[in-house]
Amino acid sequence: MAELTFNEKRLLAALVKEKKSNAEHLASLLNATPEAVVQWAHLAMDKGLAKVERIVEKAFEYTDEGKTYLQNGLPETQILHLIKPGTTLADLQGHPSFKIGFGQLRKKGFIRVEGAVVIKNEGTSTKAEESSLRNPVSGEPHTKELIKRGILAESETVRYAISITADGIALAQQGLDLKEEIGTLTRDQILSGAWKTANLRRYDIKKLPKTVYPGKSHPYQRLIDEMRLILLEMGFTEMHGEIVQSAFWNFDALFQPQDHPAREMQDTFYLKEEAPLPERWECLRDMHEHGGDTSSTGWGGKWNPKKAKQCVLRTHTTSLSIQYLATHPEPPVKAFCIGRVYRREAIDPTHTPEFEQLEGIVMDKGVTFRHLLGFLKEFYCRMGFSDVRFRPGFFPYTEPSVEPEIWVDGLGWVEMGGAGVFRQEVTAPWGVQCPVLAWGLGVSRVAMLRLGLKDLRQLYQSDLEWIRNSPVHAPAEAARKT
Amino acid sequence: MAIISLSYKYLERLTGTGRETILQRLPMIGSEVERLEEDHADVEFFPNRPDLFSVEGVARAMRGFLGIETGLPKYSVRPSGIRFTIDSKLEAIRPCLASAVIRNIAFDDESILSVMALQEALHWAVGRGRSKVAIGIHDLDTVVPPFHYVASPRGRTFVPLDFTEELTLDGILEQHPKGRDYAKIVRDFPLFPLITDDEDHVCSFPPIINGERTRVTTGTKNILLDVTGTDQRAVNVAANIICTAMAEAGAIIESVEINGVPFPDLAPTERMVSVRECCDLIGVGLTAPQMAGLLEKMRFGAQPAGSDRVRVQVPCYRADIMHDWDLFEDVAIAYGYENFAVEVPPTFSIGTEHPVNAVATQVRMILAGLGYLEMMPFTLTNERVLCDQLQRPRSASTLHLMHPISEEYTVVRTEILPLLLEMLQVNRHRELPQRLFATGDALSDLCTTQRLAFVSTHPAADFSEVYAHAAAVLRELGIAYSAEVSADAAFIEGRRADIAVAGKRVGVFGEIQPAVLTAFELEQPVAAFELDLRAVPGYPSR
Repeated sequence: MAELTFNEKRLLAALVKEKKSNAEHLASLLNATPEAVVQWAHLAMDKGLAKVERIVEKAFEYTDEGKTYLQNGLPETQILHLIKPGTTLADLQGHPSFKIGFGQLRKKGFIRVEGAVVIKNEGTSTKAEESSLRNPVSGEPHTKELIKRGILAESETVRYAISITADGIALAQQGLDLKEEIGTLTRDQILSGAWKTANLRRYDIKKLPKTVYPGKSHPYQRLIDEMRLILLEMGFTEMHGEIVQSAFWNFDALFQPQDHPAREMQDTFYLKEEAPLPERWECLRDMHEHGGDTSSTGWGGKWNPKKAKQCVLRTHTTSLSIQYLATHPEPPVKAFCIGRVYRREAIDPTHTPEFEQLEGIVMDKGVTFRHLLGFLKEFYCRMGFSDVRFRPGFFPYTEPSVEPEIWVDGLGWVEMGGAGVFRQEVTAPWGVQCPVLAWGLGVSRVAMLRLGLKDLRQLYQSDLEWIRNSPVHAPAEAARKT
Repeated sequence: MAIISLSYKYLERLTGTGRETILQRLPMIGSEVERLEEDHADVEFFPNRPDLFSVEGVARAMRGFLGIETGLPKYSVRPSGIRFTIDSKLEAIRPCLASAVIRNIAFDDESILSVMALQEALHWAVGRGRSKVAIGIHDLDTVVPPFHYVASPRGRTFVPLDFTEELTLDGILEQHPKGRDYAKIVRDFPLFPLITDDEDHVCSFPPIINGERTRVTTGTKNILLDVTGTDQRAVNVAANIICTAMAEAGAIIESVEINGVPFPDLAPTERMVSVRECCDLIGVGLTAPQMAGLLEKMRFGAQPAGSDRVRVQVPCYRADIMHDWDLFEDVAIAYGYENFAVEVPPTFSIGTEHPVNAVATQVRMILAGLGYLEMMPFTLTNERVLCDQLQRPRSASTLHLMHPISEEYTVVRTEILPLLLEMLQVNRHRELPQRLFATGDALSDLCTTQRLAFVSTHPAADFSEVYAHAAAVLRELGIAYSAEVSADAAFIEGRRADIAVAGKRVGVFGEIQPAVLTAFELEQPVAAFELDLRAVPGYPSR
């Protein structure tokens, strides 16, 4: 049995004598408020030591108006008495209760008016109304009407009858330790040593505390940080860059032909601003037109520098990777970034016009497509997805290309981004001699799996309650068994 | 996306094996099975492999991949004796043309639909929505050769497909559904491309619509193919893909002379590639014969030429082979992605966090310590939220998206605070107090910068609270600042302060104006803060 509080003990001690009493009486005995006594009694009741009965009593009170009617009779009674054969309206109109009384009589159909004469209908009487006025009965129609008319008021009084149970008596007979309890330990008690004899109140540990929430980072940010940590641990350097990119870096440098559908206005956010072309842009032009010095044929046709100068909101973070390679052409390079990218998509549960992409590259002597597959397997394992398989894929800037898929219980094989070895047409213009393994991953897709979301918008227009209730410690394994 | 419908019966007949084997291996050649239906499968192929946009093309590839028939498929072309002339005025309009005669066809309703599906997929993947390449297929027996590709006056009339009345070319652009869809490709030219026969019957108005006269029906035995466009290479590939697919189905291909040159040319092109370069790329040790064998599985012709060389014949329908590495990818696919002994890259390196993110992590720790919850709102917004609702003037330097998806998202944020107020609005029915923060990218002209904003709302949220929290954040970030009199209209006068560092305004905090609160449907006081993180000492510059 849970511990009794000091006040429960006092109550039981009083009840042993009183057996059954009411809250007011007990309150006066215990020098407390009736409300406090009821609260203690409920605690004791939860332990089977006391019984609390809630008794509701209804009482009627007369309003000031009601009090005068009690003396003089209801207005309709007063007027009814005045009506004799031949009484006219004018005879009655002077009476102080005329307005209400006459109205009530008309409404009840007790009288009729013929010309100027008021006639009392056969056998009518206000006896029932008068009786209800003097002896109101809860729920009775006349009483209800009087309440509605503001003559009577019905009030509820709640009383508590408190008694002790057999268990309570038995416990009290074992003896109750009635030493006073202390709620808060004070500095004085600590210094004076009074704490040694003080009786500190014991708490009921089964009673739940008030809910409080710590400040914390966003569940999605925590997942992003988890991925960042994995890549940092694997020795990658983090990149960070511009949201606004020239089409040159966003498309052309990645060997996307200038008439590629992804470059069209309906898929990409364009700005009217232009950015200058970087040095060596001619190498890229040659690559597009005829493949430069490589074994490539290029796309043929004329490459238009004006199209490359247009500014766009980056559609992928690969634009950062290629710029990083252009400034770091010597091996080894291991770099990654997680950043927002923009696509011209209408918003729905699985599409948003901006979302996070994870992007990484490994450039070194002797790295191969086989190493890329090895890296992908390792990365997804560390993210908590241990079953990984590879399917051929297609991306304009990688060759060979691969689409990794992970196994998710209940969903099957889920496509998890894309990867490949950067084409020579992409790397050669910047003097990059070694193979570049590259991969990209839709972070929001991982977030939906890991955070159990059905709607992507929850990431960006979050419900506060969701953030408050998302635990900081959310291991990958737990999330996968959905 | 090119999703191709593959009839099991036809696919099995052409491939020479059962559907289970085909469907199981199909993804490993580079495709995604979207749906399995009673009598067919819908399969998505990549845009770089338009030769797989027909059952015939898929069967051809799968015969090789499954080892049923490997090596270069051979297609013979015999002369038809038919000529095609090109009007030199088309040079600036739509100069390129390819053609062929295809005989011995047995069409039924299904195979007509299949050819039309291939045609549409090619329009999408190779033709860039018909602007680069458009394909016309005609019943040869309804017209009289030679044929003429001309630049025609726009007033010329003929009966377009699915119509019964003659329309002018301009009329077709206005009234025919295909005319309306593709008008933008030709509208600005004074003359329009037109293909006619020797009796001046119109075969087609490329890239818009064919004539009703040459409609292909189940009675059609012989076909005239026309492919027009702006890029000869793409035009040829489209013609080759159609001709070889029809040849796979049993048709006989005949050439047509265009200005004295026979079309189509279904001969392969040659490449000499290095075995070592291939092995270095894919990470598998192969001999020249092994590599040649794998290429033959992918339907290339391949012969070892010494220990490090393989001579490769690339079939005329493989539009995607631009570079030697494109062949090496096919070697990897034939080897089987599932057969690679995967290994992590051996490259040693030391991980380094980007300094911008290092600061962001510190910011999150400080704000969490003060009891704030992080939000990650969109960076796209609009000037109503960004400026008007905060009673701040719009800035001339804000960058506008040229073609926004909606009025809600027209600019990239230059501040974060307005988006946090929107987050309070979204959460206005949730329990108070609410303390929220957000940090991340914002634009300053074309440059990406990082900012921090936080808000606190509850009945007692006031200047003292936000000043205390602002001072704590600035102190923890090591920013030596002074609080200066602010004129920011988003805040209540006398309850607002600018954060100045070395005389430059880098942030602001205070109590939000009630009119601003009302604009965001907020009913409780809000104390708010925003800071340009470039004020952090040693912050990385661009």
